[in-house]
Amino acid sequence: MEPAFVENLKVLCDAIASEGELYIPKKVNSHYVFKLYTSSDDEPVLNEIRVCTPVKEFLFPIRELAAVFPNEYETQDVKPFAVFGLKDCDLRSIEILDKVFSEDDFKDPFYISHREKMFIISSDCTEPAKSCFCCLFSGKTWPDKGFDLNVSPVECGFLIEVGSDKGKKILNKNKQLFKKATPQLIQQRDENRKKADEILTSQNAEYRLNNPAQKVVESSDGSQLFDIEAAGCVECQACTRVCPTCHCFYLHDTELKNYYGKMKMWDSCMRMSYAAVAGGENPRKILSDRIKHRLMHKFSYYMQRYGIDMCVGCGRCIDAESGTMDIRKLLKQLNGELTK
Amino acid sequence: MISHKNPYQPIGAELINIIDESPTIKSFVLKPEKPIIFEAGQFVELTVPGCGEAPFTPSSVPSQKDTMEISIMKAGKVTAQLHEIKKGATLGLRGPLGKGYPIDNFCGKEIYIVGGGVGLAPIRSLFLALVERKKDFVSIVCRYGAKTPEDFIYKKTLFGDWQKIDGVQIKLTVDKANGQWKDNVGVVTTILKPDDVKIANAVAVVCGPPIMMKFATLKLLEFGFKPDQIYLSMEKNMSCGIGLCGHCMLGKYYVCKDGPVFTYSQIKDYPKIWD
Ligand SMILES: Cc1cc2nc3c(=O)[nH]c(=O)nc-3n(C[C@H](O)[C@H](O)[C@H](O)COP(=O)(O)OP(=O)(O)OC[C@H]3O[C@@H](n4cnc5c(N)ncnc54)[C@H](O)[C@@H]3O)c2cc1C
Ligand code: SF4
Ligand code: FES
Repeated sequence: MEPAFVENLKVLCDAIASEGELYIPKKVNSHYVFKLYTSSDDEPVLNEIRVCTPVKEFLFPIRELAAVFPNEYETQDVKPFAVFGLKDCDLRSIEILDKVFSEDDFKDPFYISHREKMFIISSDCTEPAKSCFCCLFSGKTWPDKGFDLNVSPVECGFLIEVGSDKGKKILNKNKQLFKKATPQLIQQRDENRKKADEILTSQNAEYRLNNPAQKVVESSDGSQLFDIEAAGCVECQACTRVCPTCHCFYLHDTELKNYYGKMKMWDSCMRMSYAAVAGGENPRKILSDRIKHRLMHKFSYYMQRYGIDMCVGCGRCIDAESGTMDIRKLLKQLNGELTK
Repeated sequence: MISHKNPYQPIGAELINIIDESPTIKSFVLKPEKPIIFEAGQFVELTVPGCGEAPFTPSSVPSQKDTMEISIMKAGKVTAQLHEIKKGATLGLRGPLGKGYPIDNFCGKEIYIVGGGVGLAPIRSLFLALVERKKDFVSIVCRYGAKTPEDFIYKKTLFGDWQKIDGVQIKLTVDKANGQWKDNVGVVTTILKPDDVKIANAVAVVCGPPIMMKFATLKLLEFGFKPDQIYLSMEKNMSCGIGLCGHCMLGKYYVCKDGPVFTYSQIKDYPKIWD
């Protein structure tokens, strides 16, 4: 289907918001967060890069009720909702989470119930951040799958591309709002995309690996680099919280009002006692072992199970770090040790 | 909307009996709302409502379907709470989870079982399942260890009936003896001998504290067991029990879903498997 053209985002947002809750990017200082859209809002801003909040928060909340006792608890009805301003890296992070929570032999009904109700409006990245490195992990500045609608900014407006039946339905229902995109505008979009891709590629040239990341991490036994990284890590766990693909959680039993509940809460493999067993044994007592495990999970174990890397190169962990770790640099240095 | 069954939801189970096994281990007899049909070596997640959940391998024979026994060592928050609980309480159970012992593959072989401490719990379930069809196996040879004679669990049957079963041979040892102990003194590896079983046609099953599993495995390898002849029941930190939360990872494996029973050959190349 040819893209449609719309002059402003507000009409698109109003149309989508009439179907359910819509979350849009809002700039706070130097980064974006999501906020609920209301029809009294001004023209929304199109985020030039990913929102800081990882999309997993919509599918797998930080804390949610997963079971109650003694009564049975099933998933609650999730109302349809839409998220605006997701990027290619976000869509690929959803693909990674889907493989774990909805495509393997055990399914997470809570994840699935949110996933089924989510409407995705993605958009092109126009100004990649210094920390963005998706191009090193088969990503790019614009999505070609995984969205319902995709928005690309062009002169005097936006091109809207349809990626699913759900997306098509919305456009058809609001035909009067959209015009046909001219070939000139499509060409302009493609040029913009090329430009953004070039910025990204050139800023990451120095980090390109000449071995697959899997081989790099699997050959890292005995490397001092993990100890060096550990020395600059303050164990804030921000890297795993903000990562759109990290999905560790734990079940926490607690007493609620007048019943017992099992809460499903985000966890972090960077936490000291994450892997400790009763009796005190802990295979990853040492911080450098935990840093290594995080990399092994992302580039080796996940790859072996599901055939793709568990990192989309969004660079959120680099921005979020209170310490000094830069995952691109670490991989590059490990790659250097391997090539030596 | 498609209805997805909730894998985090435990079913109720009434605690119908508690047996003191040793100073630190009690067996809990549970009657689940609906029978939980498991294989020896699989595990369940037991919830103490409002307090916490922990993984345990049932110690009862799988053919006993209405009730399930679990032997639990007091080790921390949840297990300490369990040791305080009285008969009649309702607990929560999820399961069966994971992969148990591939008993069918043991047919026609000698089975060499090495156990220590609370590791005897899953081994009891396996042992009883093997005894039920002992004609299928050449022999069942057991080597069990405990800290002191008091620390053995299932004392009545272990020191009595089990020793008399035809085709079964059991030897025991303790780290530290007391007055009445006439048997071997020393860690369990001191009673493992190269001619206990004919290795070419044997499988070994090892379950116990990590340090014991490590040294028993090394000894078995030294005797000539191949890594794929040694079955280990691995203990890792667990939460979900269904391969989602990430806690139990051992290399690419989720111990909860791909194990807890592994052959040594599956896991030997990963770092720190015994920690
Ligand atoms: C496959 C498998 C089989 C096992 N079989 C047996 C067996 O047959 N017998 C036996 O004695 N032991 C067995 N164990 C070991 C047993 O699971 C541990 O001893 C037990 O988990 C210790 O729990 P604890 O809370 O007492 O100890 P702690 O050291 O206090 O444990 C903390 C753990 O308890 C859990 N926890 C604590 N608070 C909460 C909360 N509020 N909500 C939810 N969870 C919470 C968390 O998982 C945490 O990691 C087995 C372990 C595994 C992996
Ligand atoms: S590891 Fe870092 S760069 Fe990779 S997906 Fe997670 S936050 Fe993004
Ligand atoms: S216990 Fe959650 S993945 Fe194994």
